[in-house]
Amino acid sequence: MTQMLMNLTILLPLAAGLAVFGLRRQRQEGLAAGVTLLVTAVTAAAAARLFGQEALVHHPWGGFGAAYALRLYPFSAFILLCASGFGVLIALFSTAFMKGRRHAAPYYAWFLLTLGMVNGAALADNLILLLVFWEGLLLTLFGMIAVGQPGAFRTAVKAFVISGVADLCMMAGVILTIRLAGTATISAIHLQTGGLASLAFGLLMIGAAAKAGAMPFHSWIPDAAMDAPLPFMALVPAALEKLLGIYFLARVSLDLYQLQPGSRLSTVLMIVGCVTILLAVMMALVQKDYKRLLSFHAISQVGYMILGVGTAVPAGIVGGVFHMINHAMYKSCLFLTGGSVEKQAGTTDLAKLGGLGRAMPVTFACFVVAAASISGVPPFNGFFSKELVYDGALERGMPFYLAALLGSFLTAASFLKLGHAAFVDAPRDVRPAAVREAPWPMLVPMVVIAGLCVLFGVHNALPLRGLVQPALGGRVEGLDFAGWPHGMILVIATVLVLAAALAHHLWGAGRGGSGLAAADHIHHAPAIGTVYAWAERRLLDPYEIGLRLVAAASRALWAVDRAIDFFYDTVIVRLTQGVSALARAAHTGSHALYLVWVLAGLAVMALYVARGGI
Amino acid sequence: MPALFILIPLAAVLLVNLPLRRLLTPAAFWLGLLLALAQAAAAVLVPDHAWIAPLGVATRLLRFTPTADLLTRVALLTIGLVGATALMVARAWTADPERRFRFANLALLALAGMNGVALASDLFSLYVFLEVTAVSAFILIAFGGERDALEGTFKYILLSAAASVLILAAVALLFVVAGSVSFGALHDVVPAAGRDPLVAAALVLLLAGLFIKSGIVPFHGWLPDAYSAAPAPASVLLAGIVTKTTGVYILMRAVTAVFTLDATVRALLLAGGTLSVLIGAFAALGQRDMKRMLAYSSISQVGYIILGLGAGSILGVAGALFHFFNHAVFKSLLFVNAAAVEQQAGTRDMDRLGGVAERMPVTGTTSVIGFLSCAGIPPLAGFWSKLVVILALWQAGERGYAAVAVLASLVTIAYFLSMQRRVFFGKLAEGLAGLREANPWLLVPACLLAAVTVGVGVGPWVLDILQLPAGSLP
Repeated sequence: MTQMLMNLTILLPLAAGLAVFGLRRQRQEGLAAGVTLLVTAVTAAAAARLFGQEALVHHPWGGFGAAYALRLYPFSAFILLCASGFGVLIALFSTAFMKGRRHAAPYYAWFLLTLGMVNGAALADNLILLLVFWEGLLLTLFGMIAVGQPGAFRTAVKAFVISGVADLCMMAGVILTIRLAGTATISAIHLQTGGLASLAFGLLMIGAAAKAGAMPFHSWIPDAAMDAPLPFMALVPAALEKLLGIYFLARVSLDLYQLQPGSRLSTVLMIVGCVTILLAVMMALVQKDYKRLLSFHAISQVGYMILGVGTAVPAGIVGGVFHMINHAMYKSCLFLTGGSVEKQAGTTDLAKLGGLGRAMPVTFACFVVAAASISGVPPFNGFFSKELVYDGALERGMPFYLAALLGSFLTAASFLKLGHAAFVDAPRDVRPAAVREAPWPMLVPMVVIAGLCVLFGVHNALPLRGLVQPALGGRVEGLDFAGWPHGMILVIATVLVLAAALAHHLWGAGRGGSGLAAADHIHHAPAIGTVYAWAERRLLDPYEIGLRLVAAASRALWAVDRAIDFFYDTVIVRLTQGVSALARAAHTGSHALYLVWVLAGLAVMALYVARGGI
Repeated sequence: MPALFILIPLAAVLLVNLPLRRLLTPAAFWLGLLLALAQAAAAVLVPDHAWIAPLGVATRLLRFTPTADLLTRVALLTIGLVGATALMVARAWTADPERRFRFANLALLALAGMNGVALASDLFSLYVFLEVTAVSAFILIAFGGERDALEGTFKYILLSAAASVLILAAVALLFVVAGSVSFGALHDVVPAAGRDPLVAAALVLLLAGLFIKSGIVPFHGWLPDAYSAAPAPASVLLAGIVTKTTGVYILMRAVTAVFTLDATVRALLLAGGTLSVLIGAFAALGQRDMKRMLAYSSISQVGYIILGLGAGSILGVAGALFHFFNHAVFKSLLFVNAAAVEQQAGTRDMDRLGGVAERMPVTGTTSVIGFLSCAGIPPLAGFWSKLVVILALWQAGERGYAAVAVLASLVTIAYFLSMQRRVFFGKLAEGLAGLREANPWLLVPACLLAAVTVGVGVGPWVLDILQLPAGSLP
């Protein structure tokens, strides 16, 4: 029964997704939505039924150690439950949001395929099977972005290329790991880092971090925020990819390889985390679009998770994983509020919005809760996970802690700006009187998730003792992180930083005349302003840089190709023509000359035979 | 029984030249065609035991014993096929019954001569039939009486005379050494004679004479002029079979039945073959005249046959024999195509032709088959024979020669592609607006030869048939 349910959570969404692909016509959109809602609900129920159990599924498949092997244990059950939960909530949201949009039916098909692939990747206990699902997600990522705005194809290609490069690294890492460990069964691999193993670890890290959206594999996310259907943002980059990426990151650094606190690899991970936090949040701060601003936070927050897991100390790891689930919730919720604004007001451009708080009170309330969570305001969930990450970071060094704290300040500042501009400022182009609250299928998921944000904060023992600590198992054995943070000084520091962010925002808003302009003095500061200008011209986008490098390489190769062509088309041809002309010129038509040739030939033959004898 | 292949054509020549020949003028052509086709059929169909059946009367008439091994039968088949082709081309080439009669007359004589060459069992008879063939060939080249034709004939006569002297001298020397000129007696004495300077001199003289006859570089000077100046049916006969029989076939006979393929002989053959393959191919590349290009191509392809012989193994001889047959078929085919193009378009200058295939689809298609076979493209016949030659060279340790043979194939493709592009493909050239498909007498042999090339290439059993005669060689 358990095994059957495990297979069901993977195969049912996949099969349903393929079936929904058959629904092409516009009027079958309702059917597609209904099927999706039903399938996600069944999957979520199955995941809930599976939670708390442990089981193995094993079918030999192919050779070279490949097997259809699934493993249900607290961590994978946790991911499965979360993924399926988001699946059903966002499917519900989509039924209202996607109504009447182009490509609605393929959207649902990709949605279901994504869910099946994520469930498969979470349950997989074989590296090769994991890769199959992982690469399947690459495909669905492309598909889900491509069904968005008319210009989304370019962004889809960008996402595909970036993720594809990272996946190739991961594939190499998987091959190396299998070779080093002698098995492809994930639960049987326990390696020490060092030498080739460090390389394999690094490659796997690249795969995991790229899936989670860490820098420098992030640059498709802000573009996708503008082009892809919004529920995709709430589902994939905000929730599922974070779950999967951090899940795999934790598995790799805690199980497959034993990452030690103080090791060089751990430090590298922490630096990646800090850089991601700061750079992405700096970009978020100056955005003038609701969705785009959120998308940079989706990158920035990954930094906390990587920083947390990368510390390799229990508090940090628990904080990182806890932050993962918290982030999935509040960022999903934030994107859903963005979707509801887009659907009801017709735009997400902050320069046109304003004063929506009165028109959309429920959306606004959900936004406030989720924004407070992401900013780390006590007692919401984000506060507790960030405190744990701070704790771990401080244990490893003051600079990491300060970077994380600065990230917090900027996060709070940018959300104050966003909320102020969209909901509180005086109305701009969009007249709030003409805007109505979103329909219930969109409100329900937001409210549920916002409620969970509060619950996971106020009663943090539930997620920590029920989900995170069992998932991490031996690494945090005997420790308990539930309840109020025990480092009072850290809490005070956090509160002070938040207060400073508020003060800064009020000062900036007063100076700029509106909430939207609250960060303009940073945006246009000397030096920083120049860097921002570069970033806006995409000069700093690794993808664009990569494209330019590829273009240069292809020009160089083209030159080589021309040279080879020149050799064949010109050198060889000229040579042949020359020899041919010589041969032609030799045949003058003179019979005397021909007789001379005969005599010469005869002489040479005679000499040869005479010299060699017979 | 083999004697009939000589006696019947000779009798036919006498018959058509009787005082009553006015009545027989149209019959000469049909008689020749019938004989040639019957000969080709007999070479394939007559069972083995019939070939050795002695016909006392006939043999006494000849005063020598014609013998026919499988090598001979391949030659007889080729002679029959190409002879019939040449007669059909002649039918299309001239409507004048008198000219047609004279051509048929000479063709019959050449047929008798070539059959004699194929069947001879001693060097002197061989030489006599060689001269019979050569004389009829001289007249055939000069048939039209144009200045070019006479010049071509003159060069051929000049170099043939040299060849005759050399061959006759060699025969005389061998007679001195062995006291006989029959192959059997020579083969008992000559290889055993070892380092006898007389034998060495005979070898050099015989090889040089046959090299002239075969058109091996640097003994080939007469060949391009003779081939391109001859009238269309004569060039088919000459290029397709006359030089092959009087040169290459005798060479194959001589180096296997009289001498042995020892290191010296092989070295001479390999050198001549390589020079021919390369120089023929490169010279062909630079030609504007379609028949001249085919002539140089013949030099190059004969080079392959000689290379196969030079490999010195049974496989090499089989490859040489196979390529001998294939070359006769596809080169005759290409000359037939050239005749068709010349007759319809009025020129052989490739720069003034173009897009001919559009108006002459049969000629265009068959020429593609011929050129692909010549360039050695699978699965056509030419591919297999070249493959066997190259394999034989490789096995014999002559890797460098094998490489040359492969690379020269590229040049072969190059000049044939150039010919196809300039003559048959592309847009119809100016002044060819009224172009029409050729006379059926040109299309029938073209289709027949193309079918043979495809059939031989596709039918894998052919190689076995041809390997047998090579295996039967001493």
